[in-house]
Amino acid sequence: MKNSNFMAYFFLAPALILMGVFVFWPVGFNTYLAFNHYEIAGGAVEWNNFENFKRIWEEDLFHQAVKNSLFFLLVVPAIQLGSLLIAKLVNNKMPGMTFFRAVYYIPVITAISIAGIVWQFVFKYDGMLNSFLTEIVHFLHIYPKEQLVDIDWLGDPDIAMYSIMIFTLWKGLGYYMVLYLAGLQAIPAEVEEAAILDGANAWDRFWKITIPMVKPTILLCTMLSTIGALKVFLEVLVLTDGKAETYTALYYVYDQAFRNYDFGVAAAAGLVVTFFCMILAAIQFRFFGEK
Amino acid sequence: MFKSKELNRILSVVLQYASLSAFGLFTMFPLLWALSFGLSSDGSYAYLFPDSFLPHVTDEAGGYGIGATLVWFERVFVEIPFSTYFKNSVIITTLAVVGTVVISVLAAYPLSRMRFFGRNFIFVAIIATLMLPQETALVPNYITIVKLGDFANWLQLMLTGSDAETWKKLIGMNSYLGVVLPGVAGAFGIFLMKQAFEAVPQDLIDAARVDGATEMQILWRVMLPVTTPSIAALAIFTLVNQWNEYIWSSIVMRAKDMQPLAVGVFNDLTGPLSGSQNTLMAAIVLTVIPVLVFFAFTQRYFISGMDGAVK
Repeated sequence: MKNSNFMAYFFLAPALILMGVFVFWPVGFNTYLAFNHYEIAGGAVEWNNFENFKRIWEEDLFHQAVKNSLFFLLVVPAIQLGSLLIAKLVNNKMPGMTFFRAVYYIPVITAISIAGIVWQFVFKYDGMLNSFLTEIVHFLHIYPKEQLVDIDWLGDPDIAMYSIMIFTLWKGLGYYMVLYLAGLQAIPAEVEEAAILDGANAWDRFWKITIPMVKPTILLCTMLSTIGALKVFLEVLVLTDGKAETYTALYYVYDQAFRNYDFGVAAAAGLVVTFFCMILAAIQFRFFGEK
Repeated sequence: MFKSKELNRILSVVLQYASLSAFGLFTMFPLLWALSFGLSSDGSYAYLFPDSFLPHVTDEAGGYGIGATLVWFERVFVEIPFSTYFKNSVIITTLAVVGTVVISVLAAYPLSRMRFFGRNFIFVAIIATLMLPQETALVPNYITIVKLGDFANWLQLMLTGSDAETWKKLIGMNSYLGVVLPGVAGAFGIFLMKQAFEAVPQDLIDAARVDGATEMQILWRVMLPVTTPSIAALAIFTLVNQWNEYIWSSIVMRAKDMQPLAVGVFNDLTGPLSGSQNTLMAAIVLTVIPVLVFFAFTQRYFISGMDGAVK
């Protein structure tokens, strides 16, 4: 028995040591940093109570960041409904579905930094999106021929957050599609067949069979994408780099840490974000614990 | 003459393929555009829709028409240290894949098949880390990596008497290990392998024990061969994620000659020294293609690994 204890810990040691240093320790150290002033040169640490929290509370940029992060939650219903509908489409037994699934997964496996560069060119003032919309506008004769669509997708503060959401949709729909596909394939074929025999149309079948049967997946994916939306910041970094009032909570953390080198303030803001994510995770566990 | 039922069916199929294709265009267009941009001789048509989706070159007569040139793809290797970035990406990704698989397999085995003190506590602690936002670990881990480098240097001085900063390069800032280490032990890999090991029949293990196999032999000779699909899924998953990882690599790899593709290409192409837009698009295509080719071959494992992680 003692021998088995030793072997178990021998196998676990590499994982536990690395997680201890790079996952568990940071949680404690981050909390400690949040209450300190950290001097980057020499690493001198000085206790300053709630000074860091007071500072972020008084800073407009942080308020804007939190507001944007909450606003970004708008992307959640869009991404969930979209990916469920796409999963439903590729779940049909028609030729070519493997191809379409692969095509839809391409954004997921593209590096966010690289995809971000292309999308900057799509979104820029004289970029692809405006050119495309101009063609549509001409085609539909909405405007006189010479008028061009000129929307500043990434530079206009009223629009920039929506542009980042479009990018998030492009990047994330394929990911959730795969999760929903797994949920859809667990529905027995007989259920759907029986409904067809009873004369239920596609719309009724979607709301009365598909949605209830994949409810666990919907809950999981909604929580995943809610936490994901609160944590969004790389998208901001690669698309606008915080310009046009697109600061999000974690972008603020990154900015304070690696541009201002104010580790204490960054840690305090990070702690606030962690706190909100933990609350959401607790809600998530409640949902799944009850089943 | 079609019956109305038949007509409905055909209409529905057409409609479905139309939606599938429309969404396919939405996911594909950035890459198709980048490809066509990179193959064009200049940017004249690059922002004109729909001409920009076909590459254009100047022909012998001096007219501008559809055609392709590889000149910008060659320029990529001249203008930015693409081969160096590529090499770094390969080294970093290989280290991450090997490290993640070995560590996850080792940790998952006792968690799934052995009884020992503190098992449930350790498992819950590992799974709980899934809900931590990893971004808040950036600052502490940055400090840890800097200190590890300093410590390595101090150790070198103590053991060899040399104060050349050699050992620092192994584990501190601008080191391959510094980029890889924080990520190789993660809840995802351990959880995935634990699920796979739990599905192995107990009889197999018992039979090996009767034959006098040690735990290490059971893991190596019994468990690993029957869980190859899960290991493959984990390896493929780690590979793609590490290849595309940006933020931590950009923090640790400050030296240009140590950066992976996702960092180096991004910095070079968005910075003030960026070259022509055609070169930029060609570089993007060259960066994405290795992952796409890899994905094309491993799609089945990749997507089933994704499902498995959720169930």
